[in-house]
Amino acid sequence: MLPLRRAWRNRALITALTRRELAARYRGGLLGYFWSLVNPLLLLAVYATVFRLVFTPRADVRPYALFLFIGVLAWSFVSSALVDSAETFRANGPLLRKTTVAPEVFPASAVAARLSHLFLALPVLAAAILFSASRGTVAPGVAALAFPAVLALLALTVFGLALAISSLAVHFADIRDVTSNLLTLAFFLTPVLYPVTSVPERYRGLLRVNPFSTYFTALHDSLFFFRPIAAAEWAWMAGTAALSLAVGALVFERLRDSIAEEA
Amino acid sequence: MGRGEAVTLGRGEAGVAVRVEGMTKLYRRYGRKHTVGTLKSALLSGMSRRALSPDASVPALVDLSFEIARGEMVGIVGPNGSGKSTLLKLLAGIVRPTRGSVEVRGRLAALLELGAGFHPEISGRENIEINGLLLGLSRRQIAERFDEIVRFAELEEFLDAPLKTYSSGMAVRLGFSIAAHSDPDVLLVDEVLAVGDEAFSHRCLEKFAEFERAGKTILVVSHDLALVSERCRRAIWLDRGRLQADGPARETVTLYRERVAQEEGNRRQAVGSQLSAVSSEGPAPERPARIGSGAVVVEEVTLLDGKGRPAGRIVSGEPAVLQMRVRAAAPLSDFVFGFAITTVSGQSVFGSNTDIDGFRPGEFAGEARVTLEIPAFALAPGVYSLDAAAHARDGAPYDYRRDVLRFEVTADRPVVGVWNPQHRWTFAGAIRWEP
Repeated sequence: MLPLRRAWRNRALITALTRRELAARYRGGLLGYFWSLVNPLLLLAVYATVFRLVFTPRADVRPYALFLFIGVLAWSFVSSALVDSAETFRANGPLLRKTTVAPEVFPASAVAARLSHLFLALPVLAAAILFSASRGTVAPGVAALAFPAVLALLALTVFGLALAISSLAVHFADIRDVTSNLLTLAFFLTPVLYPVTSVPERYRGLLRVNPFSTYFTALHDSLFFFRPIAAAEWAWMAGTAALSLAVGALVFERLRDSIAEEA
Repeated sequence: MGRGEAVTLGRGEAGVAVRVEGMTKLYRRYGRKHTVGTLKSALLSGMSRRALSPDASVPALVDLSFEIARGEMVGIVGPNGSGKSTLLKLLAGIVRPTRGSVEVRGRLAALLELGAGFHPEISGRENIEINGLLLGLSRRQIAERFDEIVRFAELEEFLDAPLKTYSSGMAVRLGFSIAAHSDPDVLLVDEVLAVGDEAFSHRCLEKFAEFERAGKTILVVSHDLALVSERCRRAIWLDRGRLQADGPARETVTLYRERVAQEEGNRRQAVGSQLSAVSSEGPAPERPARIGSGAVVVEEVTLLDGKGRPAGRIVSGEPAVLQMRVRAAAPLSDFVFGFAITTVSGQSVFGSNTDIDGFRPGEFAGEARVTLEIPAFALAPGVYSLDAAAHARDGAPYDYRRDVLRFEVTADRPVVGVWNPQHRWTFAGAIRWEP
């Protein structure tokens, strides 16, 4: 668990690196932070149009555009954070080789930066939920309060994986490709586009093996169906987060010494 | 020449800022990584330990030991690739020693590359904060020292401009200023002051002096030997990862300069040039056995006795003949042939060439035989080494063959030195010799 302790000790630096990342990304653009809103807005508009005019979604997930929006926002956090973490040491090579920085801060800030993008899109999500509520298609309730906790556990899981991926990527050039291919596969094996209830009963156990399934079901439960999340689900999420952090920390600690030399 | 222990002798344990013991650093070369180097190949090859283990190791530093006392300013000198920067990285804890240990007491700041940690798109202000955090300062410490950092770097007007608009000199000033104000006990500086302007370099040196007075330890890697010998109390000279000398800066720098001059001389060496004595410090520089462009090839070198027979042994004072068979790759009009004789310990005994002896080259094509006759080979008894060479008149070697053959000179009685001339004693006065 040493990498976690070091990351925590360097939290001010992680925050600063994350802010730098965001600032450098948006400052160059004309519209600054507004761009971070444009992307989710556009995404929402596309879903709303396509699923009204082209595909007919299932009756039990209406409005489907909102359902999809929640899932896709969270999934884009997961996938972009993991892909970024595969490149983070290469991108920060000069810092690693020339400063005494603890390497943990780079996967941590890669995850934090993508999490920030998700936060920046939350106002759009909130507006979409309120709009749907005003038309009576969803009924917001206190179950929404579970969302921050689910997201926190998801972020920890992603950080654990990011630790492993980032340190392995130093030794294996194709980790990035492996990661993005696995993510493409995982996207369809995770209830992002569909509710878990539309999966035939006998395959649901299989879906469970995918650690992300529970998170996405829980996200939809909290922000779309507004129903409470069962204790077993919480336990499962906490367990996968702990396991992911433990494995990630173990792999990272094993490879840590070679990061500054090989990156 | 005092070694490390002589310098730190008598200082108490409390006064030690840096201690390096038997430190060796091998850099690993992952052949697979640079050729195939993928997870796929690792999986295909059975994900064995070998896939993750290095193919070869390159020693960057070998069995290094020294101590640096608190308050010392130490220069590290040596040619490129000698391990200077690796040493700083090990001291900074960026990489770990393969063997041995390294210990640094107190707060450390490393300035290994200017602007490592600077981001071009964000402002100087934000870069100061990130750099400060990278150096281990807290946000509060950064806020407290912010004005002083900016003042020292003289960047007040540019504070809110993105760093990409800074000149390299401005970035150097900012980088140094942040590191200097991180209040380190041990400051590592790698060759960064060369970038700044004169006035700023001067202020950096003042800052160093201030640090020294405050009992802080500074290690500076520099190619600026004048700076090292003037400003540092002590200098460490590294070559190919090994400690060559460690002692008072002036002495170390002098030794290093001598070696550089000597190696330079070896590179330019033509027949007859003085073979300089090898410094007692460290291993002798390896001179290649054969160098040259190959425009002329010295194919065979023979030593003949007075009767024209090849000989490995010459009687002192008898005639001897040095001969080389040479071949020109293409006809050429600039050529010199020469021989040199040295003792096996490298002391030059005799050397001459066709240029020295007044032969002006006309043309040389194909194969030829070059013979140097010596009517009385007046060397003292002993073993000698022969060099033979063909080179251009400016000394550029076509084929320089060092130590191409060894021969023995014998005499019926011993002689001190290397010369055994014909000689005769005469006496006048009241001296009588027993018959």
